[in-house]
Amino acid sequence: MKRLQLQRWSSSALSSRVRTGSRLHRQIYYSGARFQSTTSNSLQFEDDQSLAGQQPTPPSTNSPFPQFTKHQLPSPPIQAARESAKLAALHARLYLPSRLPLETLARCLVDTSADPNFQFNNNSLSVLGHDLLTNYASEHLVCTYPRLPLTVIFAAMYAYAGPKTLHAMSREWGVEHAAVPGGEVDPGLLQFKRVAPGTNLKEARPLVGTTRPNEDQTTWRKSITSSVVYDNVFGDPELAAPPPAELSDNVYPTNDGINSEPPVTAEVASANFVRAVVGAIYLHAGRQAAKRFFEQHFLSRQLDISKMFNFSQPARDLARLCARENYEAPVAKIISETGRRSRSPVFVVGVFSGRDKLGEGAGASLVEARSRAAVAALKGWYLYSPLEVRVPSAMEEDGAAPWKPVYVDLGEVIV
Amino acid sequence: MATSIAVSKRPILGLPFLLPCCEPVTLQLRRAQSTYRRTKQRLRIKPDASFGSSTDSTQAHIIYNPPSSAPSAYHTPLKFLPPNDVRRTLRTDTSSSSLNIDALPSVFKSVPEKKYHLTREDVEEIRKLRASDPLVWSRWKLAQRFNCSPLFIAQACEASPQKKEIQRQVLEAVQSRWGAKRRMAREDRELRKESWGRDE
Repeated sequence: MKRLQLQRWSSSALSSRVRTGSRLHRQIYYSGARFQSTTSNSLQFEDDQSLAGQQPTPPSTNSPFPQFTKHQLPSPPIQAARESAKLAALHARLYLPSRLPLETLARCLVDTSADPNFQFNNNSLSVLGHDLLTNYASEHLVCTYPRLPLTVIFAAMYAYAGPKTLHAMSREWGVEHAAVPGGEVDPGLLQFKRVAPGTNLKEARPLVGTTRPNEDQTTWRKSITSSVVYDNVFGDPELAAPPPAELSDNVYPTNDGINSEPPVTAEVASANFVRAVVGAIYLHAGRQAAKRFFEQHFLSRQLDISKMFNFSQPARDLARLCARENYEAPVAKIISETGRRSRSPVFVVGVFSGRDKLGEGAGASLVEARSRAAVAALKGWYLYSPLEVRVPSAMEEDGAAPWKPVYVDLGEVIV
Repeated sequence: MATSIAVSKRPILGLPFLLPCCEPVTLQLRRAQSTYRRTKQRLRIKPDASFGSSTDSTQAHIIYNPPSSAPSAYHTPLKFLPPNDVRRTLRTDTSSSSLNIDALPSVFKSVPEKKYHLTREDVEEIRKLRASDPLVWSRWKLAQRFNCSPLFIAQACEASPQKKEIQRQVLEAVQSRWGAKRRMAREDRELRKESWGRDE
């Protein structure tokens, strides 16, 4: 059997990344401190087990470490991955590349709440996968629809790579959840510590310590532009990374074997699993395979962006847009109508700027039809898409054509 | 029964050739004829020109005859395309060229011309009047006096808190007289209005 050098691969790939990202901070410090530790505990023993794959060690009969059974381990041992039918079936079902070993797929299924040891859970892989997913999704959105308003971009990002979507995907992939994580569990099951039923998640965990300043001021206006600076890729407030000084103190999980990680919901655990799969594909099979996986599993999902708009005053917005772009002021005209004096009339109203029709809408009253026509015109503006869409990550391929700048718009209409 | 009454009201006696030997048979006949007209004659519609007859084109051709429906939101209007987009040269907007835009009636009967005739002193006067006696100088009165729109009055000055409180109490008094039906109908109207912006 070919020897697997998972530790070396993942740690080298992770530490070579840029360290500015807040989510990455928590993980990078582990790989260094891991091997400096001299404490002998169960987790240290597991570590040696995994290293045995890389360097043949003498038989453990005279080992100073006590012998542990599967029931004492927090997550399945690495050797169990080859014996799991569920894991092999999942690997085959997803058409994962053969360079991605079953052992890594088994590691993707272990959540932080199940095994706090960062050498054995999927945290590092899911951080990498999250960054890849959001990068690919955002560049696709911004290049395909360069005029989208920020709120729509945030909503579309959430629809493409948000936790709810990833949870639905892991259900579609047929991933089952283990009732309780443990070493004796089949490694083909998603392992995480469940939240007790009936827990109010919002009360249990108030979001404190976000990256946003003045977070205690709940009544202050929160502009959408500030979300770009302070919040995460979905426009939601995000927990700030602890400073490195605190991290170095608390690098190791507790020694007494008690899992101190808070329990998580199935949605969070499933989302982390899907992200970890993307990260694992990137590490083992390369950039192109990861991007192909993203296109086949994420971009192929149907998302109608034209349904994500909500205008409060469309006619006013359209007038401001025409003034900004130096078009003639929009004029609403009746194209056709029927049953004006009846109980259910239908008016078809078009919004014209000069001699060009901008939009058309039908409604039961003239005001409604005009409003709908203005909505159609605004959607026509915002949903403009260039003919040849090329994303920046296409430049990473071999023999890529020289980069031509993408269309950049002025931005949404501000009234 | 309603049919027979309606038939008997007509001056059938003045047209003797329409008068049958007995009335129920007439009704049945008339009914059959109208059914035939409705279901057969009226449905004999000439096919759309794009279908073409087989004599016109012997070769295979594309039939483009889309159903009448709202245009897609992904179809960017010609005016909204950037100047360097290829589609500007490729596409001629057939939908608007077929329409005679100047002949189309406007939605609003009269579009008010913006005059911009009020000066800074007038605005000061508006503010002073509204602050002096808000009950007398309402937005409507001020708009009539200064020959502008009530919207401009609202932009120029704000009502005093006392006046707002009075207005709120008046509104509450009016709404307290509404029954369940009217309240629900008003709420539904608001919900429908919100759904316009979501294009539902």
